[in-house]
Amino acid sequence: MLEINNLHVKLEEEDKVILKGVNLKIGAGEVHAIMGPNGSGKSTLSYVLSGKGGYEVTDGSAILEGAELLDMEPEDRAAAGLFLAFQYPVEIPGVGNMTFLRTAVNAQRKARGEDELSAADFLKIVRAKAKALKIDAEMMKRPVNVGFSGGEKKRNEILQMAMLEPKMCILDETDSGLDVDAMKLVSEGVNALRDAGRSFLVITHYQRLLDHIKPDFVHIMADGRIIKTGGPELALEVENNGYADILAEVV
Amino acid sequence: MTVMPEIEIEVREGVDRETIETVNAMAGKYKYGWETEIEMEFAPKGVNEDIVRLISAKNEEPEWMLEWRLTAYQRWVEMEEPDWAMLDYPKIDYQDIYYYASPKSMEVKPKSLDEVDPKLLATYAKLGIPLQEQMLLAGVEGADEPRRVAVDAVFDSVSLGTTFQAELMKAGVIFCSISEALREHPELVRKYIGSVVPQSDNYFATLNSAVFSDGSFVYIPPGTRCPMELSTYFRINAENTGQFERTLIICDKGAYVSYLEGCTAPKRDTNQLHAAVVEIVIMEDAEVKYSTVQNWYPGDENGVGGIYNFVTKRADCRGDRAKVMWTQVETGSAITWKYPSCILRGDDSQGEFYSIAIANNAQQADTGTKMIHLGKRTKSRIVSKGISAGRAQNTYRGLVSMHPKAKESRNYTQCDSLLIGDKCGAHTVPYIEVKNNSSRVEHEATTSKVDDDQLFYCRSRGMDEEEAVALVVNGFVKDVLQTLPMEFAMEAQALVAISLEGSVG
Amino acid sequence: MAQLQAKQDALTARLAGLTAPKGGFSHDARQAAFARLAQMGLPGRRDEYWRYTDPAMLNAVAPLEADTLRVEVPIFEGKDKLRLVFEDGVFDAAASDDMAMAGIEISLLSQADAQDLHWAKALYGTLEAAGQTPVARPFASLNTAVAHEGLLIRVTGKAPRPIHISYRQKSSTSDAILHHCIKVEAGADLTVLETGISGARSNVVMEADIAAGGKLHHIRPQGRSHGKQLVTHIFARLAAESLFKSFTLSMNGRMTRNEAVIEFTGDDAQAHVAGAAVGDGAFHHDDTVFITHDALRCESRQVFKKVLKNGAVGVFQGKILVKAGAQKTDGYQISQALMLDDDSQFLAKPELEIYADDVVCSHGSTSGAIDEAALFYLRSRGVPMRTAQSLLVLAFLAEAIAEIEDQDLAEDIRARMEDWLSRHQGK
Repeated sequence: MLEINNLHVKLEEEDKVILKGVNLKIGAGEVHAIMGPNGSGKSTLSYVLSGKGGYEVTDGSAILEGAELLDMEPEDRAAAGLFLAFQYPVEIPGVGNMTFLRTAVNAQRKARGEDELSAADFLKIVRAKAKALKIDAEMMKRPVNVGFSGGEKKRNEILQMAMLEPKMCILDETDSGLDVDAMKLVSEGVNALRDAGRSFLVITHYQRLLDHIKPDFVHIMADGRIIKTGGPELALEVENNGYADILAEVV
Repeated sequence: MTVMPEIEIEVREGVDRETIETVNAMAGKYKYGWETEIEMEFAPKGVNEDIVRLISAKNEEPEWMLEWRLTAYQRWVEMEEPDWAMLDYPKIDYQDIYYYASPKSMEVKPKSLDEVDPKLLATYAKLGIPLQEQMLLAGVEGADEPRRVAVDAVFDSVSLGTTFQAELMKAGVIFCSISEALREHPELVRKYIGSVVPQSDNYFATLNSAVFSDGSFVYIPPGTRCPMELSTYFRINAENTGQFERTLIICDKGAYVSYLEGCTAPKRDTNQLHAAVVEIVIMEDAEVKYSTVQNWYPGDENGVGGIYNFVTKRADCRGDRAKVMWTQVETGSAITWKYPSCILRGDDSQGEFYSIAIANNAQQADTGTKMIHLGKRTKSRIVSKGISAGRAQNTYRGLVSMHPKAKESRNYTQCDSLLIGDKCGAHTVPYIEVKNNSSRVEHEATTSKVDDDQLFYCRSRGMDEEEAVALVVNGFVKDVLQTLPMEFAMEAQALVAISLEGSVG
Repeated sequence: MAQLQAKQDALTARLAGLTAPKGGFSHDARQAAFARLAQMGLPGRRDEYWRYTDPAMLNAVAPLEADTLRVEVPIFEGKDKLRLVFEDGVFDAAASDDMAMAGIEISLLSQADAQDLHWAKALYGTLEAAGQTPVARPFASLNTAVAHEGLLIRVTGKAPRPIHISYRQKSSTSDAILHHCIKVEAGADLTVLETGISGARSNVVMEADIAAGGKLHHIRPQGRSHGKQLVTHIFARLAAESLFKSFTLSMNGRMTRNEAVIEFTGDDAQAHVAGAAVGDGAFHHDDTVFITHDALRCESRQVFKKVLKNGAVGVFQGKILVKAGAQKTDGYQISQALMLDDDSQFLAKPELEIYADDVVCSHGSTSGAIDEAALFYLRSRGVPMRTAQSLLVLAFLAEAIAEIEDQDLAEDIRARMEDWLSRHQGK
């Protein structure tokens, strides 16, 4: 599904190198988790994959189903099936949540040569999916993320994911700022989307999210590289012992 | 009685016990209104070339300074007094003012403060201004680490002397009166005077250029953090006398200084003119904090007497990453016309302006700032709190200008006005000029009255209405008070209460 | 002195080519306007309220040539309305609907002398004259003095249909001067739509006197000719519990100055003035608003949004004056500019002048570029760059459009904006 090779990234404005050769291969239907201390480059990886400005790729590639992501505009990456659930979803005053979602869905359909959804069909689908995430009609009417609580914002991200049906989903610290109930709700939303054709990259600090979203592989990232890969047990090891042992082991 | 919790919190945030105590302790009207009886020497009334020559001669100035003054005078004669401010005052008779008044005892320049007439020293002691080097600024006894403050004491037209000069000199810091600087460091004065506020910048600054009699001079050498706070205390004492001081501060590369300014005057029935100029030059990576507590005599309840305060203050952030912070507490003067400004020339330079302006009785204030963004990524912040009471008129006037080359710059402006009583006025006149799109400018302004719920809460705890208003107002201005050095903050807090006397009931 | 002389000289030159109607009901008002004008002269660059806008094009003896639009795109087509057409500033009876409508009297200024309209005599030039202090508005006095054309509308009940004043420009050199008077009687309710461009250069004054409980809605898409030069004034006086809501859409135009001068004379009234302006290239747009609160518990709102690119200049000068005794005033003002590139300018002077204590007044002003984070968020969801930009620009303008009460009309305005954006993207 996604193959990242030797990815090197620096900040555009400063001479600060953040990713120093990331290699990662995610197969169809797999769930991968990336853990790592603050500043290890986890969020940068998610931003670079989705095409956020301010970063410069100095080397390497990221291939999504045979196509080079790094050459594409952000919207083309989305149309190609990439989705990033933001750590800090952006507030957009003046744009209704529903308008936002419909514009996005139809833009992607159009890019893939599909017909736009009729207003009625769209509404029907949104309502069903929103209900599962306990997002009420009121929330859909409000401007995108404006005045949403932390939990509401994250649920809204998952709703967008459910509507856009991407192939490759990146969840950037989706558990941050969530209480136990909200985490459960969000995880259920994610799990409902798991299938053989869809892959996930879950970025998190904590094992607890991985109790709900069971990963196939766990990677430890430090100083801009993936330094260790293992199964779910690796996450438990981090939870119990922290990163120090792993970092020491690698050095 | 039920008390709404959010009110309780608000009052607590705004006021603390210390404030209440200070307010109680300082009950009383304008307490600096007494006069020092001392033999004075006056130049003849009025302004003309001879007076300009006389002032220059008194200060034993170099020839170029006299020429500079005379040029300014010639320009001033051709200028018209500006009328755009929201101020209403009778025409000033510029020929009915003494432009030079000096205690007779100062005729022979004292070598040090020890030689100064004890009567003059007693004046400053009574004002709470320490002129002995071991003393502290009033009101901070018991502070853990006593902070020392160097003082330049200006009395009418002359500086009496400056404390801690020797110690400052060890750090390379020059702190003296501007008349002394003209004698001892003429090259520095010549290089910088008029370079921030040009000789004929505006009507009042031009008059000042012609007739300034004294003021303070500061030079902080590169990489030096000034070892103590510097301050100038201005006292107008003589009747019918104008005070025209000029302050010049140069903060060289990577240097830092915090400068304080205070001022008072006796109560009189006639108005007196004060037209000052302050110029600040800030080089690369240097930082200047300039704090003012302006407490000139405001006139009585009926608007009789008081100082006309027309001041031009400007800081030029000449180097990259230079920083200036103006804080002003304007409680005095019958008329205030004052716009401390920042020219943000260096890339990444920063300007801040924090202001509390209180106008009570018949006072009128038209004050604010200008933030001129010229360099890239320059930042400015304006927080203005205006309080109007009695029949006073209080205007915030400001300019934020983003030049085309000032890419990625930022300004945030907040100006809030509070009205106490229905006979006063509060006005806001901001000019916003944005000429590039990568800069972001945000301006917010509100006008409201003192919150009845807060007043009621205070009164239900036993305060009388005036105390309650003082407390609530102190809460309103807290953001700005916090930017002042501690000693000044306490004095300012007390002043807020005093200047609001008679505003209710 | 020299300044005033220059302004008066400019006036003399301007008046040389103009004639005032002789005699008639408006005679005294016109004479008074001439007298005011003689005192003021035409605006000069050093006048406080012309510091951001150069009045030269409006002062000039003749207008600059302005191409007429090949196709006039109709707007508000879905609305049943009474249409009155002015072509190059002259009433076009053939293109207009019959003026008869229940509860409304409509006359032409050019024919009013034959009728005995007491209300019009009392109104014509009166609000304009009152609006000259404290800030002079010479173009409005000029208009009162010499306007031949315009509408006199008096409404006594709820108007069954909106009145649609439709302007058309056929000549590239026409210099239109129009003066409308609208009298909304107690409890009456009227919507006025003003669309299109009345000339290469136009000077339009609307005096609206709204009696107790009356309502006037005013929606004005000003047409999208690039060459037009335009100065408009709305003078509105609001009696107790009355309402006035005005929205203006400005697209393009070499020079536009829209002034609104509103005075609350009765308690509990409401006035909202809003504007959305979008400009690309040689575009200078100025909104100058002056709201005077002289009554209890009135509410005023000013909402102005400008989208600027390719050197476009947006000006906002808005003032809330609360007179002594006008307690419980609620005054709100927001002016914002979205600058799509680095050449544009936004110049603003949002003022408060307040002489009553029990009031809540606020103003805000912001300017800046499009929000990059929001743009990326949209794109990461698959929305193409141009669509994402349009969406954000429309979101920026939404607060101003929200001031239009009638949802159908608001939708038409939104569609027009979208159309403009689709034409002016990229570059």
